[in-house]
Amino acid sequence: MENMKRFVFLILLFAASIGAGAQPGRAKGKPMHTVAKGVYEPFFRTATTMPVPVAAFRIDEYAVTNAEFIGFVKQNPAWRRSRVNRLFADKNYLHHWATDTTLAPADAKLLQAPVVSVSWFAAQAYSRWQGKRLPTVAEWELAGNGKPRNIRFDSLTDYILDWYKRPNPKVLPPVKSTYLNQYGLYDMHGLIWEWTFDFNSFVGSTDSRGNTTDEVQAFCAAGAVNVKDKTDYAGFMRYGYRGSLKGNFCIQNLGFRCAKSI
Amino acid sequence: MRFLTKFSQVRIGLLVTALSTSALLLSCQETGKDKPADTAAVDLNAPLTGTVTAELTDAPLVPKPLTYNTPKKVMVELEVIEKVMKISDDTEYTFWTFGGKVPGKFIRVRVGDLVDFTLKNAADSKVVHNIDLHAVNGPGGGAEATNVAPGQSANFQFRVLQPGLFVYHCATGPVGMHIANGMYGLILVEPAEGLPKVDREFYLMQGDFYTKGKFDEKGLQPFDEEKAIKEQADYVLFNGRVRSTTGKNALQANVGENVRLFVGNGGPNLISSFHAIGEIFDKVYMEGGSAVNHNVQTTLIPAGGSSTVEMSLQVPGVLNLVDHSIYRAFNKGAIAQIKVSGEENPAVFKSNK
Repeated sequence: MENMKRFVFLILLFAASIGAGAQPGRAKGKPMHTVAKGVYEPFFRTATTMPVPVAAFRIDEYAVTNAEFIGFVKQNPAWRRSRVNRLFADKNYLHHWATDTTLAPADAKLLQAPVVSVSWFAAQAYSRWQGKRLPTVAEWELAGNGKPRNIRFDSLTDYILDWYKRPNPKVLPPVKSTYLNQYGLYDMHGLIWEWTFDFNSFVGSTDSRGNTTDEVQAFCAAGAVNVKDKTDYAGFMRYGYRGSLKGNFCIQNLGFRCAKSI
Repeated sequence: MRFLTKFSQVRIGLLVTALSTSALLLSCQETGKDKPADTAAVDLNAPLTGTVTAELTDAPLVPKPLTYNTPKKVMVELEVIEKVMKISDDTEYTFWTFGGKVPGKFIRVRVGDLVDFTLKNAADSKVVHNIDLHAVNGPGGGAEATNVAPGQSANFQFRVLQPGLFVYHCATGPVGMHIANGMYGLILVEPAEGLPKVDREFYLMQGDFYTKGKFDEKGLQPFDEEKAIKEQADYVLFNGRVRSTTGKNALQANVGENVRLFVGNGGPNLISSFHAIGEIFDKVYMEGGSAVNHNVQTTLIPAGGSSTVEMSLQVPGVLNLVDHSIYRAFNKGAIAQIKVSGEENPAVFKSNK
């Protein structure tokens, strides 16, 4: 009987600690998972692009939520909407929040949804505050390529394309609402776009149908010859998306998750 | 002997000079007769005579003919909007649009104008877009300059150097998918003297669509890249929807009128054999360029190309405008209509039933 009580107590304690972890602002202890070392094959095949070895790293289980980001701006007033420097976040920064530190009561659902409309600079600052960093493109792509674990679909590309084909939902669903992959990561595709540390290392523009000679010649006609896999439409989209970004852009379907070196 | 040699060399030299001069004169005369190419027609140093905002219209409407005849700065702003719309009565599709409709807004400018172009991407867009206007002389037709993330906008300027009816489209990768989702429209560049006056002008644009479900299968149908690659279209449409321009939505005209159609073909894959059932095109500006053909039954419109056709209407009735690759018309939706009202004209056509 005493043992039983202790057991129940332990379970309750365990549940409470999980609950605490999910509370607004308590981002500490957010689960991370290890992605084993691997090789990242760049999307473009040119004479100069080589497969990139990627060391094992840790990455957040799910994207940073509004609740977590509220905790951040409360402790870092410089990153509040009313105070942020325009150089570091454009006018759409956190525009879906009611005030500097709160969502409208009607938007309570969004607390557990990924924070979006945050700039690269803000995502960087948050990551640093957490003692973490943003994943590189190579790391993100490696993690994103993980096989789905809890749902069946024939092709990851089709799954991603189906997401592209739907307009953005009126209310962004919460984190962990799509699928789980082999590394234990949720929503790598199908919920939001995510910032990467070196998003703009993929050179600038996205027309690149042979007008330039750099590696961005991927997006039409002649240029597409260099693409590793022409049917990887989803890859096209991610690279096109990243190529269009600037560090201070705040976009309503663009959020982030943090990574850490091992 | 040496003198003689020298003399003959001089003579040959003179002869060559004379010949080449006359050749030069001849070639000058020839180019003088031809329409001047590119910048020859436009004085890039001439000052612009004011700023206007372009009138933009959704198909089948066309902006009014331009009333100015000196080059101006023309402001154009287009917004890319991704939205679910009907592709058929009971079928929906997630279209990607220039301005909220398929095809995109019709733009009308005059040769010599300086176009100040702003492309916005709606904040709730999912993906990046840009625009390649075939009327542009410059990198990617503007695509490089306009690659815009959701919620952002981009601006560039181009000088309109050549008259014609030009297609514009999105050129963000994968280009095929962006075009297949409806990202195309027309920009008309009027020649300096304008186009001859007609009674009515309309805007039609053909496009082929690829859906997971078959033609007219109910519900929201996603894009099917397999079918697109195989060029097996489920829908071939004028103005982005089955029955967009038929029945109560038919174009309206009267007996005795001259009608001009600005017809584009967005593709992504199919070439149009554009034909009016029961009417002959009096004039066809072939491929949207300056050469005019007369008395044409069916004109080819390339994917990513256009044609301006004119016809005078002699008798009342319904004119079916079709892609004469005829299964597309009767099984895939490629029919538009002009309802011609007015008195019967038995001297031209009489049924003896």
